[in-house]
Parts: sequence; C-alpha cells; structure tokens
Amino acid sequence: MRIQDTIRRSGRSLRSAKLRTVLTSLAIAVGGFTLTITLAAGNGIREYTDRLVTSNFDSSELIVGRDKEVSNTGAPSTEPKEYDESVTSMAIGGDGSSLQIKQVTPEDITELKSLPYIEEVRENYQLAARYITREGQKRFTLSATAYNPAQKPELAAGTLPKTGDIADNQVMLPEGYVKALGFKSDKDALGKKISINIQKPFVDGGGEQVLAAIRNGVDPRTLQPESQMRTFTIAAITKKAATSINFGTLPVLVSTNDAKQMYDYTTEGTPSYDKYTYVYVRVKDGEKQASIDAAQADLKAKKYFTMSSKEIQQSITQIVNILQALVGVFGLITVIASVFGIVNTQYISVLERIREIGLMKALGMRKRDLRRLFMLEAGWIGFLGGAIGSAGALLVGIPLNPWITKKLDLGEGNSLLIFRPSQIAALIVGLMIVAILAGYLPARKAAKMDPIEALRTE
Amino acid sequence: MIEVANITKTYGKKDSAFTALDDISLSIKDGATVAIIGKSGSGKSTLMHIMSGLDTPSDGHVTVDGTVLQQMKPKQIDAFRAEQMSFIFQAFFVEGNQTCYQNVMLPLEIAEVRGRDRKQRVMDALAAVDLSEKANSRARNLSGGQKQRLAIARAIVNRPKLIFADEPTGNLDSATGDKIIDLLFSINKTLGSTLVIVTHDDELAARCKIQVRLKDGKIDSLVTKPTRKTVARAKK
Repeated sequence: MRIQDTIRRSGRSLRSAKLRTVLTSLAIAVGGFTLTITLAAGNGIREYTDRLVTSNFDSSELIVGRDKEVSNTGAPSTEPKEYDESVTSMAIGGDGSSLQIKQVTPEDITELKSLPYIEEVRENYQLAARYITREGQKRFTLSATAYNPAQKPELAAGTLPKTGDIADNQVMLPEGYVKALGFKSDKDALGKKISINIQKPFVDGGGEQVLAAIRNGVDPRTLQPESQMRTFTIAAITKKAATSINFGTLPVLVSTNDAKQMYDYTTEGTPSYDKYTYVYVRVKDGEKQASIDAAQADLKAKKYFTMSSKEIQQSITQIVNILQALVGVFGLITVIASVFGIVNTQYISVLERIREIGLMKALGMRKRDLRRLFMLEAGWIGFLGGAIGSAGALLVGIPLNPWITKKLDLGEGNSLLIFRPSQIAALIVGLMIVAILAGYLPARKAAKMDPIEALRTE
Repeated sequence: MIEVANITKTYGKKDSAFTALDDISLSIKDGATVAIIGKSGSGKSTLMHIMSGLDTPSDGHVTVDGTVLQQMKPKQIDAFRAEQMSFIFQAFFVEGNQTCYQNVMLPLEIAEVRGRDRKQRVMDALAAVDLSEKANSRARNLSGGQKQRLAIARAIVNRPKLIFADEPTGNLDSATGDKIIDLLFSINKTLGSTLVIVTHDDELAARCKIQVRLKDGKIDSLVTKPTRKTVARAKK
C-alpha cells in the first residue's frame, strides 16, 4: 500500500471512532500543553536575560581580575584560598561575608594596556560617597559609579552623549532623587547643581590622627576624617530600566575622570589605593567570538581571571535551563503516561477490527503495510494530541502574556511566554513519533494475525 | 490454469492428528467455474484457503499458471493475491463505516495501483453490480443483497484471474441469493475470471462446470460437465 493511501486510510478509521480517538489524544494533549508552555517560558526568560546582559555588558569587553572570584559564576567555591599578605581584604556580598580579593594593580593595568589585542582598559571604580545634597535640602545616601557608554541607561529627561563619556563635572541622576532634592520635575532638574560629599579614610586605622587630637586637647570621638564637597551639573535623569541589573538604588553616574579622582581621594593611603577588584578590557575585534576566546586564553595564561558577557549570560541561563528541565520532566512524564493510553486504545482497535484485518490480509496486504497502517493511526492520535495541546497553550498563553509581564515587572516589550512556530512544529512531530512508537506493539499484533482465524465467521 | 497436486492437510501431532484434506488433486482451466461441495467439516474451506495461498498444505502443492505457490516467499504470495485473486465471503466483510467507493478502492490500494484511472475502475466495478448511485453512501446502510453486490464489486475491481466465493449466498434469502449467483456467473463470462465457489447448496453447484464433492477430506466425486461442444458431438 502506498504511503499516501495508508495515511488517508488510517485517518479515516480514526474518524469512525471519534470519541475514543479524541479522549486518547487528550492525554497527549496535556503533555503537549505543558511542553509548549515550558518551551515558551524558556524562550521568554532566555530572551529576557539576553537583553539584560547585552544592555548591561558590552559584548566586546571582558571583565579581568587577578582573583578567581572574578570569574566565579554560579555556586560559591568551597575551596579555601591560602592567605596572602599582599592581598587586601574587602567585604562583599549582602550576607556580610568578607573575602580577600587579590586586586588588579597599576602594573597589571600597564601590562594589559601593552597587549596587542587590547584596545582599552577601563578601571572599575566602586565609589564610596557619603551623601548627596543641594542647597537647602536634606542629605541622602547614594551609590555612585563611572558612566559606562555600553550600558546606555534609560533616561527620564536629558540626552545621552552621542559617543564616549559624559563631560566632567556632570552627573546623571536617578529619578528618585529629583523630588527628594526639591526639584519640581525631571526637566526642572536639568542643568541644576548638586553636591556629593566624599571622605578621606583614616589611614592605618586613624591612630595618628587620634593621637594628634589628644595632643591638641580635642575629644577624639568628635574626630572626622577630611572630607570634600564636589559639585556637579545634572546632565540627565535616569530611570530604572526593566533590563538593568541593580541591587538596591540606582547609581549616580559621573565621568570616568571624576570617578577616578573621587576613588583616589576615598582610597588614598589604604591598600585599595590605585587598585581594582576588576577592570573592563575592550578587546580588538571583540564583536567576533574568536577574538574574545583568544584574548581569554592568553589572559588565562598570564594568570588573569576573566569573564565575558557570554559567560555572564550562560551563568544566568544555566539557572533557567535547570528550571526549564524540571518543568519539562513533568511534561515528559505526562507524555509517557499517555503512551500507555495509546497502546491500550490501539490494542482495542486491533481486536475490534479483526475481520477488517483478515480481509486486508486475504486481499494481499503485506505485513509491513498493515503494521504501518496501525502505527500511522497511532501517529494521527499523537498529531491530534500535540495540536490540541499546543493550541490550548497558545489560547491560554497569548492573552495571559501582557498580564504576566505586568505582574513580574518585566518591562515594556518583554514577554515571559514566547511561542516559536518551529518549536511547536517540532514538538508535534516529536509527539507523533512517540505515538507511532507506542503503536508498534498493537500494530505488530495486527500484522501477525492469522487471516484464516480472523475470517472465521462464527 | 490451476493445478492442485496431492494436497494433504493435517492438524495436530501423531496420536491426535486430524486429517482435514487427504491427497486432493484437481486441475482447473482458466475461466472455468468450480463448485467445492461438502458438509461442514468436510474440508472445503481449507481447500479454498490452500488454493489461494492463505494456508499452507502439509504435503503437496498448488500451481497457478506454472508458478508453485508453496515455493513463493510470503511477500510474493501477498502480491500474487493482491493482483490475481479476490474473495467473496458469506458474511460480506464490507466496512460499514466506509463508503461503497472506499470499500471498492481497498484492493486497488493494496495492489498499489497508481494513476488517474483508479477512480474510473472503482466506478466501473460499482456500475457492474448496479451500485453506482450508492458510491458515496456508507456500506452499513446497505441491505444484505446490496452488501454482497458491493463485495462482488470489490472482488472484480482488480480484474483478477481468480475469484474465490465462500458460501456467497449463505446469509441471503433465496431470491436475493439467486440474483447474486446470476451476477457471479455473468461476471465469470464477461471478465473470464475463474470462479471457485465453496458451497453446500447442490442447486448452485449444479450450475458450475466442475463439481468437486468432498467428504471427510477426500474427494467423494468429481464431475466435469460436458461443454456444449462435447454435448453436440455426443449427440451426433
């Protein structure tokens, strides 16, 4: 029997047992529904993290450090590091844990700058400013960092510099500070001035200053390290983007020059002075993955630890993949359960149609064709189940998408569920294959049937 | 030309062995009508099954146009049956859920007949049994006689050399049965197909050229009706 005739005939015999066919395929539909939703959610989350990473990291840049923590993604390392006197200690992490980080030194930066495949080295200034204020206003805490052109913050007012850095003595202010600092509106704040206070550290624990104060008859408890007020003009107001990675408050952005001056001022005399946890390195031809890979390999040989935006992305998507696999397993379990339904239905179908099978064999139908006929019938059930399941997923998912986006605060233009026709098609084909395989045993029974037995009239 | 040579069929082993057919030999010319007559259990159905290659004999062989069925591979026998033989059964075995057209199409699909004339052949076969206007009706809505006519259309659509009919009138009243028999004989004439009818109806058997009467697995009597020519010659 030719394949098109077999397909038509198998479809026809399913239509003559509609209720049974639909009920059996509903079992697969449940699996199909779950898997469609899982795939769509995986797409959505992956696309979201992609945007998250590309809008926060320049793909042609590498994060380069001297400590392996820099390139540590995912789970914290359990292996203790040997104590190194030259390494400064600094606290990281919201749990209050403190960790020694081997920092990048000026010599390292010089070395990095001399490498032929490195275009630019940007220091990472983690600024510890005391407060931000304006004449006649209260003082507020802040976090501040250097403007990174690659990040392109979202603006509520003002404009981004077309190329390169923002001008010195200018800031980009997060919109939360606008009202707090007494401006009428975002626009009103543009061009106005604000002040940021930074403080010199006590060198060597401030012991000398304390002794000097006692000598001069000053109460050492009132002692304050030297501090400095820096005044900036507001160039733009930033707002929280859906795809920004910021824990806590949005940072106040200043130019690299200002950031360096402030960083030096606040770290002068400390072990952190002129040293950085990590630096950003722009790789020549960094748009090509090959140049990034080559740079990473060479830096590794030079005992640097690096992380590319791709690796950051992978560390996030890894979590997504694990979650997706977990949900997917449930979908697969449903599919496996439905396999037994198909086997059962097809066995009944074979028993019901003993006469028909006998007749077909008498008329010269080959075993292979008969087997194929019944396996294709099972395949149709799989197709129907897959189609019903994914159609259900689309019907539920598409209208729900905007609501989920709003609830999860994903931001405009991001969807949690992204349905790809190619994936749905592949899923349906996959379910058909599973169903066809499930139909094998009943089909074999049909093919093996003795036509004389089958055609006995009594 | 069909030659049945020393066919023996035994079921079971040694002590409990049962011989269904015992050393049957026959020779049937193309286009002949053959009646295999006997009571139930006489082995007539078994003989038909062996002649069509559905069953295998314990001993002996069947030769159709010089080809020994027992020497063919299962695949070849299947193809042989699909192209050269067809069956009509007492219980019709038409698919009630399918239309008449679809029922008649089945042998053509099995024989992998291609091309545009497939449809025409089905319609011709339906016309031959006077069921043209029922082409798109479901077979379950037909009367018994119509069902058997449909089965005949299915049997002739492939223009087989050999038609086996197993008690074709067994489920029909005598008037309808007679019509079916007339139809079968007229098809035998027009198509030239050899017709092998298994029956216990002596009246029907009497219309066939060769009458093989089986009793307990052996040929009880073998009658070959003289053709008109030989009758005419005898008269002279």
